[in-house]
Amino acid sequence: MLLANKEGIIVTGPLIALVPGGVGTSLIVFTIPVLAGQLIGLKSAKIRKVMLHNNGAGNTTVLLGNGVAGVGVPQILPAFDSMNNLTASYYADADFPEFESFANIAAWTPAVAGTISIRLEVAVIG
Amino acid sequence: MPDLYIFKAQIGMFDPVALQDHNVRLHYQQAVHYRKVDFFEGIPPFQCVDIAAGIGLPALTPTARVNVVNLEMADNEFGLWRWYPIDDAQIRLYHPAGIAKYQLRNLQVPVDENILFRDPNLVSTEIAVWQNNRPAVEAVNAHAFALGAVRLIALGYRYHTVNLEGTAKGADPELVKAIQLGKAPCTDVWCSGRGIGD
Repeated sequence: MLLANKEGIIVTGPLIALVPGGVGTSLIVFTIPVLAGQLIGLKSAKIRKVMLHNNGAGNTTVLLGNGVAGVGVPQILPAFDSMNNLTASYYADADFPEFESFANIAAWTPAVAGTISIRLEVAVIG
Repeated sequence: MPDLYIFKAQIGMFDPVALQDHNVRLHYQQAVHYRKVDFFEGIPPFQCVDIAAGIGLPALTPTARVNVVNLEMADNEFGLWRWYPIDDAQIRLYHPAGIAKYQLRNLQVPVDENILFRDPNLVSTEIAVWQNNRPAVEAVNAHAFALGAVRLIALGYRYHTVNLEGTAKGADPELVKAIQLGKAPCTDVWCSGRGIGD
């Protein structure tokens, strides 16, 4: 069982274009896998990587939370910087603490001029 | 004769305690059952319980005692299990629900995620479950924040057995006598804990 020290299957969420407008426009960027009758037990997801691309949105931030779409909060990590027209990648351990989420993960950005594309890589546990 | 016994240490999936047609002596509290294995299969690791029942465990809180019904076996069957938690709580095991497992004179030893580092083969977690006499667990969250879940992973073997005692088909009183006299091979399997002073 030595290999069991590192639990988790790495999967990637969908590519989402955030709609600028604050927490009220938050979108789900990763859904915890739940399928009644197929899965045994409760799944969770440790965020491993966050990748952002700023589509002319100016210098701004992206925030992650555990609320449903349109609610967003509670916020689960400090804000990630996103610079105008640039791509940014953030890595667990190096750039932010490993966070295990038991609910779907939402993301949002303040009201800005352009959109921000986001994709998460997570380790699914359970 | 294969070298089979309980609490065997090795890398990877652990050895079964008995093979096809092997004799086993199942101990459940003070009861003893003489059986012969007529079928067995491996059970891959699976999430057998979320002790926090899907709602999480608040900070600095123990759970109530929860029966692990997913480790129950069918009639005439026993399960051999090793297990570990995947969330950072301390787990107290009871087997059955009224008898503390890993019980010392002054301490009931808990299991937490460190078991994967300190006992990577999970040898010390090995238990057996006779029919529906399932274990129970409590979880203790010592953190100052809530845990989203307290999940346990179990893996092991399912054994179907026939009764060597009595007069039903498959019974063999002479073999039982030989086992009792130490003249026939048999593996002892403990399917419960034991009360202090019992």
